[in-house]
Amino acid sequence: MTSSQKNAHPPTLRERLLAWPENWREYALAGSVVAVITAAGWKLLPESYYLSVGLIYLLGVILLCLRVGRGPVLFAGVLSAFLWEYVFIPPHFKFVIATLQDGLFFSTYFVVALVAGELIARIRAQAENERQREQRATALFNLTRALAEARTLDEAVFAALRQVDGLFGAQTSLALADETGAGLVAHFSSSYVLEGADRAAAEWVFRHHRSAGRFATNRPDGTGYYLSLVREGQAIGVLGVKLPPSAALSFGQRDLLEAFARQLALSVEREHLRAASEREKLLAESEKLHRALFDSVSHELRTPLAVINASTENLAEADPSLRGTLVKEILTAVRRLNRTVENLLDQNRLESGLLKPRLDWCDAGDIINAAVESTHDALDQHPLQIAVPDEMPLVRADFALTEHVLANLLHNAAHYTPAGTPVTLSAGIEAGGRRIFFQVDDRGPGFSPVVRERLFKKFARDEGGRPAGLGLGLSIVRGFVVAQGGEVVAGENPAGGARITVYLPHATPKLGSPT
Amino acid sequence: MTSSHPFRVLVVDDEVQLRRLLRLALEAAHYEVYEAETGQLGLSEAASLHPDGIVLDLGLPDLDGREVLRRLREWSQTPVLVLTVRDGEDDKIGALDAGADDYLTKPFSGRELLARLRAILRRVQPAAEETVVHIGEVEIDFTARLVRRAGAEVKLTAKEYDLLRYLAQHRGRVVTHQQILRELWGANAEDNTHYLRVYMTHLRQKLEPDPRIPRFLKTESGVGYRLVDA
Repeated sequence: MTSSQKNAHPPTLRERLLAWPENWREYALAGSVVAVITAAGWKLLPESYYLSVGLIYLLGVILLCLRVGRGPVLFAGVLSAFLWEYVFIPPHFKFVIATLQDGLFFSTYFVVALVAGELIARIRAQAENERQREQRATALFNLTRALAEARTLDEAVFAALRQVDGLFGAQTSLALADETGAGLVAHFSSSYVLEGADRAAAEWVFRHHRSAGRFATNRPDGTGYYLSLVREGQAIGVLGVKLPPSAALSFGQRDLLEAFARQLALSVEREHLRAASEREKLLAESEKLHRALFDSVSHELRTPLAVINASTENLAEADPSLRGTLVKEILTAVRRLNRTVENLLDQNRLESGLLKPRLDWCDAGDIINAAVESTHDALDQHPLQIAVPDEMPLVRADFALTEHVLANLLHNAAHYTPAGTPVTLSAGIEAGGRRIFFQVDDRGPGFSPVVRERLFKKFARDEGGRPAGLGLGLSIVRGFVVAQGGEVVAGENPAGGARITVYLPHATPKLGSPT
Repeated sequence: MTSSHPFRVLVVDDEVQLRRLLRLALEAAHYEVYEAETGQLGLSEAASLHPDGIVLDLGLPDLDGREVLRRLREWSQTPVLVLTVRDGEDDKIGALDAGADDYLTKPFSGRELLARLRAILRRVQPAAEETVVHIGEVEIDFTARLVRRAGAEVKLTAKEYDLLRYLAQHRGRVVTHQQILRELWGANAEDNTHYLRVYMTHLRQKLEPDPRIPRFLKTESGVGYRLVDA
């Protein structure tokens, strides 16, 4: 076992250069232990104790087993055996064994020293294996945790690649299958760029679902080692690892990398499945919205058109006394048609992002008048009360947008409340003086909690009310108010009914005395 | 219509139906109507016919309405009423700046059309001798710089009077904030619309029967004011 395999991370060039002296140090230690025993035995013990010296040698070798590797132990065993024979076993300083007993002692010693060395080395190797297994388990555990904690696939991939970087002292690269499933797209968290032979190796791996590159039989010209990420027979990506030029890849490491690749593949697949189901949900949602829009637009356009059509046809033959009524019907239908078209255009303006409010100083009373005038016909069944304080300051707003907002609110108030109930439009400065408010109160049924939840969403209509309108009114109100830096709040009229309040930022104009 | 010969009006619009309808409404009011369906044709007709007034749709297929106005104004001061769509505040102001006399928002009523046209045509026949203007119960005497309401004199400050006079001279027609500010306070004051709001509030308080719901001194959404010729 080389030192590069002992450590979980492969040795750098520097470590590898230092590996020889480290090993030599073990040999030196073994040599010096044998030398010390030899010197001490020669100096301190009587000649006849040479058998005891053999036992002391054996003790030294066994002790060495605890510190050094198999090579130095064997070295110590052989060296001590020969020194023992040469120095201590009579005749001294001659490789001659005189008696059978000495021969037995010597050969037993030799075998015991070798076996002890081998056994100890095995035990150590086993411990080393254990340590590696544990490291691998820890690495996998860390990876799984990082993958599970990541909120997005990108985060997960980033975490996984950084772990591989650290664990192997390597650079990593991940390429995932593109949308068509035929090409590879490098992931941004890769720490090196796939180019040339590496790119070719990665693509080979992607097509053949087998590993390739350096350390592999296929495409060994790449500088990195490439593993395929496969789920259910489908290649979904390629993981590349670029080890330092001097490093080797052990079986254990290869195994670990494969486990990493499997985990990553699982993660990627899970993300793909999630994205697919999300897309499907969105699609279904937008289809539903689309159908709702289509249904209501078609209803809102066709109803007044039908009225106009029928009334106009009747107009020619109708009794003169009925003509006035028919013309009134046509006018009402035209207004409704006009309103529908306006709302559609407004919504479109909001969604196109082309809406740029032109803020200017406006008289709140002017805005209110304009809104009231344009909703005059809708409000004919509802007494309208307007409450604006005498000291109402100028409002910094887009006149036309604010007028639309108020007109929509008034229209809704008239539309969703029983005929004859009053509608109140008030304005003023909020307590604290930071915001101007416009408020429309009606005495209708108010908002149910469910309705209030989605009140300002597109195509939201109060199903309990009269089934008419596109459900765009409040969505436009909010869009226009927000565009001016304001806020819309739906609430309850303390006297019973609905209340919608529009807040706009308030500032004081620098009123010099104009001359 | 005070003149002996009928006014000649050129309608520039690409929609046949709208042209037909305008012709119907205008001829019923004794105008002599000519039609052009593109901006180019409109310009050449305007040059050859010398109409008294032009009704110009801003949304023409060949030329931008503002461009038509700009070219027309290079050689002609014929009053122009532009037809525009709602929400086109910038278009309206742009057209007015480019020389249009007033605008009408589609969809419009025949009554509105005739009122606007009457007002802009008055410009070519200014009553030079017009010294007194009556609006509702308000009487403005330009020579005496006097304003009376129901016979009683109304005290106006100099600026209030100037504003009222300017609106009265353009009565029935829209005047933009910028036009008023330029006229009354000079070119540097064009952003100071809040001056204008304040003076308008004062004027309404002094002259309107109900200042909160003005009948004469009307606001034109996002564009300016109009003194309604009642």
